[in-house]
Amino acid sequence: MSEPASSPPIAATRRGARPPRWLQLALAGLAGRILLAVLLSMLCAAALIALSGHDPLAAFAAMAVGAVGSAHQIGAALNRTTPYLLAGSGVAMCFRAGIINIGAEGQIAVGGIGAAATALAWPGGSPTLAVIAALLGGAVAGAAWAAAATAIHLGRRVHEVLATLLLNFVALLLVQQVLAGPLGQFGAGFLQSPLLPRSAWLTRLEGFDAHAGFLIAVVAAAGLSFALWRTRFGFALRVAGSSRPATAYAGFSLPRLTWGVMLLSGALAGLAGGIEVLGVHHRLIEGFSLGFGFKAVTVALLGALEPLAVAPASLFVGLLEAGSLSMQRQIGVPSALVSVIEGLTMFFVLVATARRP
Amino acid sequence: MSNLLEMRGIVRCFGALRANDGVDLDVRPGQILGLLGENGSGKSTLMKVLFGMIAPDAGSIVFRGRPLVGHRPGDAMAAGIAMIHQHFMLIDAMTVVENVMLGWPEAGRVLRAAEMAARVREASRRFGLDLDPDARVAALPLGRRQRVEILKAILREAELLILDEPTSNLAPSEVADLLTILRRLRAEGKGIVFISHKLPEVMEVCDEVVVLRAGRVAGRARVGATSRAQLAEMMVGRDIMTPHKANPRPPGAVRLAARGLAAPGLAPLTFDLHGGEILGVAGVDGNGQLELAQTLAGLRRPRAGSLALDGRDITHAPVATRVRSGMAYMPADRSHTALVPSMSIAENLMLRDSDRPPYAHGALLMLRPGAAKARALMADFDIRATGPGAIVARLSGGNQQKIVVARELDRTPAVLVAHQAAWGLDPGATRFVLDRVTALRDAGAAVLYISSELEEVLAISDRIAVMAGGGFAGVVPRAEADLRQIGLWMAGRAA
Repeated sequence: MSEPASSPPIAATRRGARPPRWLQLALAGLAGRILLAVLLSMLCAAALIALSGHDPLAAFAAMAVGAVGSAHQIGAALNRTTPYLLAGSGVAMCFRAGIINIGAEGQIAVGGIGAAATALAWPGGSPTLAVIAALLGGAVAGAAWAAAATAIHLGRRVHEVLATLLLNFVALLLVQQVLAGPLGQFGAGFLQSPLLPRSAWLTRLEGFDAHAGFLIAVVAAAGLSFALWRTRFGFALRVAGSSRPATAYAGFSLPRLTWGVMLLSGALAGLAGGIEVLGVHHRLIEGFSLGFGFKAVTVALLGALEPLAVAPASLFVGLLEAGSLSMQRQIGVPSALVSVIEGLTMFFVLVATARRP
Repeated sequence: MSNLLEMRGIVRCFGALRANDGVDLDVRPGQILGLLGENGSGKSTLMKVLFGMIAPDAGSIVFRGRPLVGHRPGDAMAAGIAMIHQHFMLIDAMTVVENVMLGWPEAGRVLRAAEMAARVREASRRFGLDLDPDARVAALPLGRRQRVEILKAILREAELLILDEPTSNLAPSEVADLLTILRRLRAEGKGIVFISHKLPEVMEVCDEVVVLRAGRVAGRARVGATSRAQLAEMMVGRDIMTPHKANPRPPGAVRLAARGLAAPGLAPLTFDLHGGEILGVAGVDGNGQLELAQTLAGLRRPRAGSLALDGRDITHAPVATRVRSGMAYMPADRSHTALVPSMSIAENLMLRDSDRPPYAHGALLMLRPGAAKARALMADFDIRATGPGAIVARLSGGNQQKIVVARELDRTPAVLVAHQAAWGLDPGATRFVLDRVTALRDAGAAVLYISSELEEVLAISDRIAVMAGGGFAGVVPRAEADLRQIGLWMAGRAA
């Protein structure tokens, strides 16, 4: 008790260990607002659950257990998080450049095709090589799908929203088409591919149900954040997103930037599709990607278009979905209501995190 | 006869700039008053004060015998003042009658289009506007669109019409029609303020002329009792800001050579720019200055001709190549082109140099050397801010422009294209920019200095070109510059 234990840390804090400004700003008030948003959405959800004739408290308990109740459930939530993080951070990069890419949905679907096709055609041998090849197949397919949208946008001056959006529907139908044809499992009675060879399955993390895709996604998001703030490419993207005349004045080629960022985000979305196929289903299934790409846009905006912040945003959505599914299974809350609750929560959090104009 | 409008001692400052400095203005019913002056002479400010878009710092306004104090545009319109802007405030996709009803309380909550169309037809006949109430605005030529604006003013029973540069977008035949309409309005007892740079029109239609210069009334005259030359002289003024410091050495070799260089909005131009020379480009805004600057800088594709920098053809070179070969450019549009206001000072300083040291190494940005470089430039160019991380949007206009100057001059360019480089700056910052540009010239660079402020051009240039209608109306050495001749060139009369 001879030394006053509290004085040195304060001095140290003052001297230079201050967190960077963006972190201070992000922490100040934001946590409170998000908490309020979650509380408000829970109130609305409770009212809806009560109206449907179930006990809201029991429902919330089931939700919490379903999301984080055990290692396996946490693993399942992380698996759900993975496609949102990959596709969402790619979308965030596009939005940063002022390019409204809402084609992640289709890019994920085509990525699934690419990964499944590569895995089925791979001659065997080393499992690591097979997985890498299949993931690359997914990424290349996703990038190719994004390239189609980009070519239409730049070549024919079709608005990028239309070009990317409409190709989503083509991609979803393409999945059905390949499953009805070359990749389909004969006589399954369901549109799906044969089971992929075990060598192409994604490794699972010991003790969890989580596959290695989550780690890939975290590394990718960190890489994107670095690219955005520490590379010339990222600088050009940020200038392009702020002002098109300044982009031309700075000597950046907008078409080249558009190609770069679209291929990048297409590859990430394709990778997400590949991970979903190799890590979760182990085969290509009709509708395996439904809604991932559109929610990726929400997640990107929730994360304020900062790849690193897209990580907690995706985790939030992943936990919410895992929990909602369990609520549906345990309490019997109708699945439509589950979607409503999910939507409400995202809506409230988006409003709470939105910056004032 | 009593005055329709009396403005007395209007003062309005923007920072250190006195945009209006004790201006008096009277308009009588049935009078067309010409308001003349160069860009930045205070015409727009005065009219914005009258219309209630900005509040005066001092002075009084009396309209139809009633004081106008603390009013907003809505109050001004209700009192009977109509403003017809240079860019029409019409919805293109709507018809004439729909535009007339738009935002007009008297049109009622339930719109009676047929009834209103009848009123439109009646007024159109009476004033010779020749407007079909059911025509879509998008389908009308510009002259007709302007008449829709006039029609709106008439139907709203405006007694005073302000027309801001009403002829700048019109074809000659449309101008003649507009002047006829204005005479008819005058015959009905309306008061009209006719803002223009174009002396021939002013002489033709106005009864009286007020000339503004540097925020003050430089002269008033009855149109019958004055000549065009006298007006031009009043507009331009004799007081040149500072005595001209010509380059002591004779101009050097040709650094920029344009041969028949043409682009959309730019007539074929042929000129040489020598090292150690400032070619000042004067002229009323919108006569091809922007097109010239952008074509030289690589932001606008030339349609014909060639451009060579230090003997190397750069006619079709992309912007980045031009920057590397020594072409510097200070655009007039600071908030969207020259700067990215939401970014930091350091990021704006590297905007055009982000591909090389000290800002980058390969594909990576070098944040620490970049910040150090930014700090050095901030000290050298007297950019006042908390540090290189400060957001540009929060800086004063003078500090913002110093960032552009620092970035473009630090490269020690061979050629500088400066467009409105001192626009809106206070006298200190203006001096700073002019001094730096002059120093660059003395170091052997060639400078094209484009400004609609004639005094600035006269103060800095070694040669003066006047732009009108997308081309050079005339080029003279500074020593032989004759203000009256320049004024006439500016007014669109070729040499």
